[in-house]
Amino acid sequence: MSTSSYLIRRVLQAVAVIVIVTIVVFGLLHALPGGPARGILGPQATAQQIARFNHEQGLDKSLPVQYFYYLGQLLHGDLGTSYTLNEPVSQLITERLPKTLVLTVLSALVGLVLAVPLGMWQAVRRNKAADYVITTLSFIAYSTPVYFLGLILVLVFSQQLAWFPSQAPQGETLGQVFSDPQALVLPVVAGAASMVAVFSRYMRSATLENLSEDYVRTARAGGSRPGAILWRHVFRNSLTPVVAMLGYYVPVLFGGALVVEQLFNYPGMGLLFWTAAQSSDYPVLLGCVLVIAVATVTGTLLADIVQRIIDPRVKAGRA
Amino acid sequence: MTATTKGPAARTAASGPILELDDLGVVFTTETGEVPAVKGVCLQVRPGETLALVGESGSGKSTIALAAMGLLAANARATGSAVIAGTQIVGAPESGLAALRGKTVSMVFQEPATALDPLTRIGKQIAEVIRNHREVSAKDAAAEAVELLRRVGIPEPGKRARAYPFQLSGGQRQRVVIAMAIANEPGLLIADEPTTALDVTVQAEILDLLRRLAAETGTGVLLVTHNMGVVADFADRVAVMYRGEIVETGPVEDVLLRPAHDYTRRLLAAVPRLSVAAVADGTGRPPATARARTGGPAAGPSTPPPGSGAPGDRTPDRPAGGSAAGSAAGPVANRVAEPVVKLRDVSVVFGRGKAAVRALGGVSFRVEPAQTLGLVGESGSGKSTAARVALGLIPPTSGTVSLFGADLARTRARARRALRAGIGVVLQDPVASLDARMTVGECVAEPLRIHRRDLSAKDRQAKVAAVLDRVRLPREVARRAPRELSGGQRQRVSLARALVLEPRLLVADEPTSALDVSVQEAVLEVITELQGDLGFACLFVSHDLAVVQHFAQRVVVMRAGRIEEQGPTGTTLLHPETDYTRRLLAAVPVPDPVVQRGRRAERLATLAAGRTEAQA
Repeated sequence: MSTSSYLIRRVLQAVAVIVIVTIVVFGLLHALPGGPARGILGPQATAQQIARFNHEQGLDKSLPVQYFYYLGQLLHGDLGTSYTLNEPVSQLITERLPKTLVLTVLSALVGLVLAVPLGMWQAVRRNKAADYVITTLSFIAYSTPVYFLGLILVLVFSQQLAWFPSQAPQGETLGQVFSDPQALVLPVVAGAASMVAVFSRYMRSATLENLSEDYVRTARAGGSRPGAILWRHVFRNSLTPVVAMLGYYVPVLFGGALVVEQLFNYPGMGLLFWTAAQSSDYPVLLGCVLVIAVATVTGTLLADIVQRIIDPRVKAGRA
Repeated sequence: MTATTKGPAARTAASGPILELDDLGVVFTTETGEVPAVKGVCLQVRPGETLALVGESGSGKSTIALAAMGLLAANARATGSAVIAGTQIVGAPESGLAALRGKTVSMVFQEPATALDPLTRIGKQIAEVIRNHREVSAKDAAAEAVELLRRVGIPEPGKRARAYPFQLSGGQRQRVVIAMAIANEPGLLIADEPTTALDVTVQAEILDLLRRLAAETGTGVLLVTHNMGVVADFADRVAVMYRGEIVETGPVEDVLLRPAHDYTRRLLAAVPRLSVAAVADGTGRPPATARARTGGPAAGPSTPPPGSGAPGDRTPDRPAGGSAAGSAAGPVANRVAEPVVKLRDVSVVFGRGKAAVRALGGVSFRVEPAQTLGLVGESGSGKSTAARVALGLIPPTSGTVSLFGADLARTRARARRALRAGIGVVLQDPVASLDARMTVGECVAEPLRIHRRDLSAKDRQAKVAAVLDRVRLPREVARRAPRELSGGQRQRVSLARALVLEPRLLVADEPTSALDVSVQEAVLEVITELQGDLGFACLFVSHDLAVVQHFAQRVVVMRAGRIEEQGPTGTTLLHPETDYTRRLLAAVPVPDPVVQRGRRAERLATLAAGRTEAQA
């Protein structure tokens, strides 16, 4: 399949998935007790007020009609209005999404840069002391809740050692966020920890699997040295399955950001979601869900494209 | 780098043996303790000589090859001595071995599909071996890799050097592995079953290539194989291994024609031999037909005078005579004349539009009651697809399939299930085709659970016990897990499972190709015997022409999804009508070095004639 027709097909698939997500989000919006009207007008509203609100908002029309109306609004970037902040949801999200992206992308990069060599090293030193130590640390990092890890980081590196501030950068714009890189360290570390744990495990098992492949024996029989075999052959072959996992890890990263942002008081999507959840601000919550869904679909799409680039067999439909 | 300049390793070693094993032993450390795999092995390979190491699976022959390269698994320990061109391999550090591997000694592996890095272009993989040992610029190494690809017979080598392994056929991949192995003109080449995974015609080409390269550079070759035909074709001397020890060593003609050791004799007796029509082999000897196997299935007089086509003569009388009892007892009796399976003008197309692949085209054949039909062809010829169509597993895109006289396209799902109860299936892989979570008894009883729900548990057990008796397995295996059995035993469990419903048709897709020859012989004997008792018809898919010749009454030769020719086995495989079948037969190496030499000369002459004709 040619690259362009592949891309067109994959993007269409992604759009289809997102449409399904909008249906689910729309359904949830209408499954709320009393509907959106009760949510906005509050528990004291009379039946008359609710009826009037429903009529004004077009909520007394049939569900399919309402859905297409909702879809039309979405296409215009209209995600509704926050109940509590009285601002358009789309504006709230566009303000905060870049900051969350900075945090998650940085966490993912740091996580990967540490996890990949660590996993490979473990594979090479399999069943030796270093492997066991890192495996143990991985399981601890993976099973420690992010908020608990964050608290420990704050306690040790901020309270005791005073190396880093306990609050994330508070700036409104991205420039302001980056102007205080020291303050980003602890949130990024907290976000990257589980990533290191998970992906070093993936990388370890992928590397182990590849080390036992026949082509490694062929390379050895040709006189290649272990280090050369590891970097020239095993590295790339082990990376492909790990890249595929990366796309599916996007929602986990967002989930982590939710906690990290709350913990370090970082004004991103996570914090927005957190406060919205506490005040039952449904339009904001569902807007965030939609954005995360789009991010996940995009993430898997990107992962597939990257995989196509590093593995020529994928393009030929052989793997 | 030309053929006239020899590598330094080859030159220095010309004085003595390039490989010398002395009291070599290998022990594997496993969970159940230490398992000796190789004991007290002594052998030598001199420059320019090919020594074949033969034996059945588990005899330790591959372990010796790996030990000589220092490539043993981490849980293996070598003792004794293995010296290559003056360097001791046993106990040598990895860095010392790396300097030797690919330069003084190289290896060609069994499985070309997995031997190359899937993500690295082949030219680069060859260049890596060059640059491991010589100070060559990346550009020069790349150019040399292209030249090597040309030498091993890859067409358009400049373009192919940029290909990834998956873009090449199995034979081409093996050529690439060979190119890597000869990149630095090693003094010793170790080839571990180099042609086992390849079709016979490709096998013949690869053996020709290895023979030519070894002769050009005076390379010593240690050839590990289980195929006596390959040994006869290639080796100067033979060492026979049995349970980790060498039982017999000698010149190839002595060992294959006048074996001294009892095990060698038994091993050779189990090898199915291809009967071939008289060829002008220039030796003046009678043709190879005189060396038919004794006591094989479908025994009959299989030493016919050349040209009489005698093995085919048994075709007409076998279904009529030999199995009359079977058909009278079985359900076949009602419709004796009805073929069990009939494919008429079947074609199968996979995929749609531009990506569509025609897997079968215009395929027609029938399997008569109590008859065995052999379906032969090289990989990708569509023989397994045809078998699956006959089973009703793949619906034909056009044409009709009838099973026991019923048109499969017109039967409803329920009726089709009933029809399928009349078919037993045995597949190639005895490990993968049995559910590891079931006991042997459950595996065999499963068809009864599905098709004979009226049976009580006790009756079912009785039937399972009876069928285990029939395939000559002790009843106790019913309680064991498939993994506790050997390959041959597992294949008999598959057979028991296939026969427990007393089918009218047995479909066997390469049932013995994963087995050693002696085990293959036993399994085929059981099938033949049961066919005589039970009278089922058999559709036998195989790439092994010799096995089909001994086992089947009729044969269908397939090529690229079409039927090349079909007829009684004796006629078609002795006096083929098409060039393709002739080439296929000519490529099969027979386990007689004298005859094989003649066949090889004949085959190469035919190929050369074909080439000059094409050029004219």
